[in-house]
Amino acid sequence: MKERVDVTDVGTPTRTTPRALGTTPRGQRGRRLAPYLFIAAAAVYLLLLTGAPLLDGLWLSLTDTQLLNPTEGAFIGIHNYSSLFADAEFAHALVVTIVYSTATVLGSLTVGTVAAVAMNGAFRGRVLARAILTFPWAVPSVAAVLIFSWIYNKDSGVLNQALSSVGLAQHGWLVDPTWSLFAVTLASVWKVFPFVMLVVLAALQAVPEELYEAARVDGADAFNRFRTVALPFLLPTLRVTALLMTIWSFRRFEIIWLLTQGGPVGSTNSLVISVYREAFVNSELGRSAAMGVVGLVLSTIVTVIFFYVDRGAARKEAL
Amino acid sequence: MPRIRFNGITKTYGDHEVIKTFSADVPDNEFLVLLGPSGCGKSTMLRMIAGLTDITAGELEFDGTVVNGTEPKERDIAFVFQSYALYPHLTVRANIAFPLLMSRFKPYHHLPVVNTLMRRRVLRDPDVDAQVRRVAAMMELTDYLDRRPRTLSGGQRQRVAVGRALIREPSMYLLDEPLSNLDAILRSQMRAEISDLHHRVGKSFVYVTHDQVEAMTMGTRIIVLNEGVIQQYGTPKEIYDSPANTFVARFIGSPPMNLIRCRLDGRSLRFPDGVTLKLPEGCASPSAPDRDVLLGVRAEKISVAPSDAVASDTMPAHIIVSEYLGAETVVAFKLGRRADQTEQDTVAKHDLQQARIPGELHLTPGADFTVRLDLTNVSFFDVDSGERLPVAVPEATR
Repeated sequence: MKERVDVTDVGTPTRTTPRALGTTPRGQRGRRLAPYLFIAAAAVYLLLLTGAPLLDGLWLSLTDTQLLNPTEGAFIGIHNYSSLFADAEFAHALVVTIVYSTATVLGSLTVGTVAAVAMNGAFRGRVLARAILTFPWAVPSVAAVLIFSWIYNKDSGVLNQALSSVGLAQHGWLVDPTWSLFAVTLASVWKVFPFVMLVVLAALQAVPEELYEAARVDGADAFNRFRTVALPFLLPTLRVTALLMTIWSFRRFEIIWLLTQGGPVGSTNSLVISVYREAFVNSELGRSAAMGVVGLVLSTIVTVIFFYVDRGAARKEAL
Repeated sequence: MPRIRFNGITKTYGDHEVIKTFSADVPDNEFLVLLGPSGCGKSTMLRMIAGLTDITAGELEFDGTVVNGTEPKERDIAFVFQSYALYPHLTVRANIAFPLLMSRFKPYHHLPVVNTLMRRRVLRDPDVDAQVRRVAAMMELTDYLDRRPRTLSGGQRQRVAVGRALIREPSMYLLDEPLSNLDAILRSQMRAEISDLHHRVGKSFVYVTHDQVEAMTMGTRIIVLNEGVIQQYGTPKEIYDSPANTFVARFIGSPPMNLIRCRLDGRSLRFPDGVTLKLPEGCASPSAPDRDVLLGVRAEKISVAPSDAVASDTMPAHIIVSEYLGAETVVAFKLGRRADQTEQDTVAKHDLQQARIPGELHLTPGADFTVRLDLTNVSFFDVDSGERLPVAVPEATR
C-alpha cells in the first residue's frame, strides 16, 4: 500500500520517518473534521441569518404576540393556525396566491421562452433587441409599477385609450375586482419575463446547430424543430426556472402592494399582502407569523414536487 | 437519382470567397467524393447541395432543374453529419423513424395533445415498424432500437445516422466526414459498409472527407478541392495516376508522390547532382525540349539497391529513416551521397523522397544506397505553376 505523508508533520525536524496521514489519533480526527471545517463558515452564516429567524418565526406563530408589545407574547399552541383555516379571507388569500402565481409563472415562461427563441435567431439589430427585452428586469419595481399605474388609469391610461380607439370597452383595471388580478399579473409578467428569456436563451445556445439542420433535412418545420430539438434541451432549465418563478411569485409583494394594496375588495390580496396587513396594520405578529409559515409550507410542497418531477425526468433520460 | 450539375457555383462570406466558381457534372448513381484539406470548402459545398447553406452565385441543378432556392426537405436528400446529429432524447427507433414521422405530419398535429398521440401512433404503425426493423437489420441495430444514442458506441451511432438517412429512400445521400470520429479499425469496417451500401441501394452518394484513403477506396469519382478551387475531377485511378498539379500529386497517395526537380533535355533527365537518366522507349514526355521540370514518381515506382550496385539507370541516395509497416517498408531518403551533403541539407525536409518497398527491409539511417526509378509512367509538372505538363509519345519512340 502506498505510504502517505502526514501533512501535519511537514517541517517538524525531530521526525525523520514520514507517517501515513490518519494513522495517528490526531490525524484521524483531523481527517474527520476537515470537511466540516470547510463548510463551517457557510453553515454558521445560514444558521444565524436563516435558521434562527426561521425558528423564531415558528415560535412566534405559536404565540399571541402583538406588534406594540413584541416581547410579551404568550404561547397559545396552534390557535393561530386553527383560526386561519377557519377564516374565509385567509382561504381567499391562498386562492389568490395560487391563481396569481400560476398565471405569472405560466405567463412569464411562455413570453420568456417565445422571446428567447426569437432572440436566438440571427437578424440585424439582435443585440439592441436583446437589450430592450432585458430592460423590464433591470427597471426598479417602483418605477415599473408607477408606469403601469399610468397605463391602467381608468380615465387617462393608454390601455383604455387604445381599447376605445379600436372600439373595445374600457375597464377600471385596478379598481374593478374582475380585472385587478389580471392587471397585476400582467404587470408582474412584464417585470419578470426577461429573467426567463435570459435563462432560456442561454440554454438554447447550448443546442447543437447540427440538430436543427438534421431536422430540417428530415422534413421538420419550425414548430417540430422546436419541439423535437430545442424543447428537450430546454426542459431541465424550464423546470428549475418554473420552481424559482413559483417561489418568487408566492412571496412577491412590491408590485401587488404598490398597484392595488391587495384590493379592490381583496381581489389581489395574496398571502404576503395578508402577512403584511396582519403584522403591520392589525398588529397581530403571531397570526402573521402563522400565515408566513403556511406560505413556507406551500413553497416547500412546490419544491418537493419539483424534485420528484425532476428525478423522474432524469431517470427517463438515463434510459 | 439526380444528375448533379454545378454551374459556376460561388460562395462568399463577406469579402471572403470560400468557393470559387465551382463547375462539375456528376452522373447518376455515382459515389462522388469531395476531397481536400481542412478549410478548403468541401463541407460548404456539401451543405449547398443539401440546401443548408445559400449559394452566393451560380446554379445547382438536379436533373436539369435549378434547386438554388429549394428547401432541404424538398430536395429528396438525406444527410449524415460529422457529429451524427442524432436526437439525444429519442430512442434509436424514434431517431430512425423520424423522417417517416415528419413525412406524415399534418398542420393540425401541432396541437399539443394531438402531437404526442400522433408521434406514438406513427411509431406503433406496423408499416413504419417494418421499415424501421428492415433498416435496423441492415445496420445491425436491431438489439439497440429502444436505447438512446448516448448509450451507444461511436460506430453504432454512426450506423443510426446512416439508418435515419436510409429509411426515407431518398435519391441522394450526402455524408459529411461521417467516419472522422471513429478509430482506425472501425473506420476501415465502416468504409466497407458504406461502399457496400452504395452498391445495394444504387443511389447517388456525395461524400466529404479529408482522408485520401477513404476517397480512393470508396469513391467512383473524386473532386479534389483546395482553397475553394477544384484542383481535379476524375476517377480515383485518373487522379492517382495523372494528378493535375503538384497539390493533387502530394495530397493523393500515402506516401505522397515524389517530386524531383530535374532538367528535361529531349529524352534525358538531368538531375542537379549530375546524374542523367534516359526515359525508356514508349514513355510519354512533354514535347517542349530542354526545360526544368518537376518529375513526379510514385513511391512504389522506386526500388532500392546497395550502394555498390551502380548502373546507368540508378541514382545515388542516402537513407534518412526507414519505417517498417509489416507488409511494406517506407524508406525516406535524399538523393545524393551523404558525404556530399551539408548538415543543414541532411535535415531539410523539402527534398525528402520516399520509396515503398514490399516486405521488410533493414536499412541503416545515414547509409548510402542507390535507387532505381521506374520511369515508364511518371508525371511532369511545370516548375513555376505546378501544373501537369501535357505529354506525348514521340514519333521516333513509338
